Amino acid sequence: MADLTSPDVIRGTLDLLILKTLTLEDMHGWGIGQRIQQISRGILEVNQGSLYPALQRLEQRGWIASEWRTSELNRRAKYYRLTASGRRAVGTETSNWRRYVGAVDLILES
Amino acid sequence: MDRVRGALAQLRAIVRGRGADRDLEEEMQSHLDMETARNLAAGHPPDEARRLARAVFGGHDATLEAHRDARGGRWIPDLLRDGRFALRSLRHNPALTTAAIVTLALGVGANTAIFSTLQAVVLRPLPFREPGQLVMLWERNAERGWTQAQAAPANYLDWKAQVGAFQDVAAYPDFITNTVLSQDGEARLVESMTVTGNFFQVLGVPAALGRTFTDEESWATGERIALISHRLWRTRFGGDSALVGRTIDLGGYPVRVLGVVPASFTFPGRDPDVWRPTAFSRDGAQAVSFRRAHWLRVIARLRPGITPGQADVALQVVVQRLQRDYPETNTGMGAGLGPLHQFLVGDVRKPLVALQVAVGLLLLIACANVGNLLLVRAADRERESVVRLALGAGRGRLVRQALAESLVLSALGGAAGVALGWAGTRVLAAMQPEGMLPVGNIGVNVTVLAFVVATSVLSGLLFGIGPALWAGRRAPAEVLKEGGRGASRAIVRRWSHGLAVAEVAVALVLLSGAGLLVRSWWRVQSVDPGLVPEGVLTINTSLPPGRFDTQDKRDVFHESVLARLEAIPGVQGAATVTRLPMTLSGWSSDFAVAGRPREAFGIEAVHREITPAYHDVMKVPLVRGRFFTAADHRSAPAVVLINDAIARKYFADEDPIGQRIAFDRYPDSTSYWRTIVGVVGSERQEGLEREPRLEFFAPVAQDEAAPRTFVIRTTTDPSAIVAAARAAITNVDRTVAIERVAAMTEIRDAALARRRFVMTLVLTFAAAGLLLALVGVYGVMAQLARGRRRELGIRVALGAPSASIRSMVLRKSLALAATGVLVGVTLSVAATRAMASLLYGVSPVDPVTLALVGMLLATAAVASSMPTALRASRVNPTETLRAD
Repeated sequence: MADLTSPDVIRGTLDLLILKTLTLEDMHGWGIGQRIQQISRGILEVNQGSLYPALQRLEQRGWIASEWRTSELNRRAKYYRLTASGRRAVGTETSNWRRYVGAVDLILES
Repeated sequence: MDRVRGALAQLRAIVRGRGADRDLEEEMQSHLDMETARNLAAGHPPDEARRLARAVFGGHDATLEAHRDARGGRWIPDLLRDGRFALRSLRHNPALTTAAIVTLALGVGANTAIFSTLQAVVLRPLPFREPGQLVMLWERNAERGWTQAQAAPANYLDWKAQVGAFQDVAAYPDFITNTVLSQDGEARLVESMTVTGNFFQVLGVPAALGRTFTDEESWATGERIALISHRLWRTRFGGDSALVGRTIDLGGYPVRVLGVVPASFTFPGRDPDVWRPTAFSRDGAQAVSFRRAHWLRVIARLRPGITPGQADVALQVVVQRLQRDYPETNTGMGAGLGPLHQFLVGDVRKPLVALQVAVGLLLLIACANVGNLLLVRAADRERESVVRLALGAGRGRLVRQALAESLVLSALGGAAGVALGWAGTRVLAAMQPEGMLPVGNIGVNVTVLAFVVATSVLSGLLFGIGPALWAGRRAPAEVLKEGGRGASRAIVRRWSHGLAVAEVAVALVLLSGAGLLVRSWWRVQSVDPGLVPEGVLTINTSLPPGRFDTQDKRDVFHESVLARLEAIPGVQGAATVTRLPMTLSGWSSDFAVAGRPREAFGIEAVHREITPAYHDVMKVPLVRGRFFTAADHRSAPAVVLINDAIARKYFADEDPIGQRIAFDRYPDSTSYWRTIVGVVGSERQEGLEREPRLEFFAPVAQDEAAPRTFVIRTTTDPSAIVAAARAAITNVDRTVAIERVAAMTEIRDAALARRRFVMTLVLTFAAAGLLLALVGVYGVMAQLARGRRRELGIRVALGAPSASIRSMVLRKSLALAATGVLVGVTLSVAATRAMASLLYGVSPVDPVTLALVGMLLATAAVASSMPTALRASRVNPTETLRAD
């Protein structure tokens, strides 16, 4: 499934990536996967088996909401959008992530 | 707000269930479509575009499962599904299911029965108002070895009046008296309890009808009054409420009934039909005996907010004052208090707790057994579970499903166990020694049910968790490659060996506990009571006091009965005694020997009053001097016999015969001196387990005392003369009630009844534990042999003699048993220490018992694997090797 050179998204960061993607525009599941892959220049690949459960989880936390719409290609698709608390979550989750990365860097460089 | 929306989404998902699944299907379809569209755009042909899209998407079912998990709340439908699935799979395997349920039912049933009893007797609060405020008061005396002794009435009255920490203090004599209720010319013996006037107020129990006694009625009022039980009121007086205020005939006197005690009233260890007030006399209260004779059990109700510790401090102040004010009687006389409940059930608590521990261990063994069954089956179903894993079932699901199965099993076993346990309480009630357990109260109630549910669920988790975790742990590819052999089998084997070792170890603990009790039993049985009980019949009578109001009348009655008893064919001799041996000892006193220094007094000797033939009838040996004769009558010089316990302690270097003693610590001019005429062997007065006490005997003619029990020595079986003996009594006087007719051997056995009861139960539980453990070992060995059939087949094919294969299996089982025994011995050494107080003449860590029990278990375990060993040695190599 996953290309050998594109590691699966680390568990736990997927939520943050989804939220970040949705700050740009409302998007359906397939689009979110594509967008993450594009922006990461193909380094990250989202496993669909974890994408949909993650969307479900975020919706239940109240960070995103969903509705069925017609896509640009005139197909029915389920669109996800960020809620107000989701927008706040992006901020805190991002700074959490920065701290985490910084900490790992410190250890790796020591 | 968003949080609410999220929660709503979750709720919707749960409620919709299938709807949510459909929603996701559609979403995934749209995803696939988009992916396919992209692939088309990239120039792939349509088929290839769709195939690639599906390949990238990954497992459809796995995504669906993961999504369902993320949706949450799925446990409700899952639970139902798991339960249904569990039932179905249990039905498919009736042998295993039955074995598991029966095993569990036994374990849970035994626990239910014992716990119901423990709960009713020890844990349930006493049926009185604010029972936590009630404490028992007792006297202490280091010199006399009294720790929780009865109190003297004068001391009781001073505590009541002077200790401010008590709201009120009541008392009752510690002995059971019987009285004759005469009604329409019919005499009937009823148990009577004497209490102070405030007894029912202190306990907080109002009368069901009429009133209870008042505080003033502790003192003689000149009128005879009584309360009667609800039972007596219904059965003998037809529940007639006009009875209150009327008089009934009790013991030959008219007695006015003040009220009826409610049916719900119970008092541990007592079951009276009549309550009488203590009726202390004002004159008697001035006598020194009012502070010297100790015969009251005292119950106090603490003031609200006062702790027993604070009350004890207040009590000690009064006790010290009494010691100063009454040096003659109260020197060294301390007092103490403790929770009433603990005091009343104290002697039943230990055995019941021991039994509870025993059945707990039994349940552990049962759980290990069922766990092993499930483990073996989980191994057999390995392929099934890994296939489901490969098809996308979550590991959590598999674990849960296996657990659901064990919980369904434990629920079924628990339900059967409750039924069994309920029946068990009936059996316990029927086989218990008289008066040990309050029979009416024992039953399966809410607390017991809660206990059973908790026990069942816990055991379900206990035996289910191993197999369940294991079921979820296996990697599919590995297992499918192995074809159900190899590594996974080894894990199962390790687990089930561990369980079998644990079973053997726990069984050993149970068996060594039982073994210690059996050894104690043998020790007690071989104790010499100091008399020969075989061939002796005993008869207790109750003389209506109104009719036999002088010593002459009483003497005439007893003499005439004795003459008639001795005339019965087969009777060698008859006598009366004030208390039978091996029951209880009665009054005790200090004594002085004439001519000795003031401080050389003897202490704590009990005494009994007898007719001359008593020691002959009981076959108690005469050590020196003579027995009493008819010449030792009322007006003859006062004489006394001593037992050799006194002779050894106080007359070690001199001849006691001819010396004079008085029952006073410091004799004075009023002392009554008696001459020692003989030394007799020491009887065990308080049952076989207690050493003989120092004891005097006086001729009943010179020192009258009641009640008097007839003892009759027969040349044949005592039961053969019961009818003639009864006739001898009623022919002398029809109004005398016969309380109890019993062979002396029954009296002895009654003294051992509790010990036998506890031993029988522990032995039964240990036997059940042993059996289950052996079944466990058998199962493990059979499983082992099955798993290694191939290897055995190869060995046989290569020419291994069948004997060597047999011994290989036996060696394995011996190793298993030996490990279990070693672990068990270690546990036993720690566990049996706690039961020291239940043992007699044997140390709680008894090497002989441990060695015997260990050998028994090891032998039995090896024997239980014998069939497997034989089967293994008859393996047909061609068949086994072809099977795969």
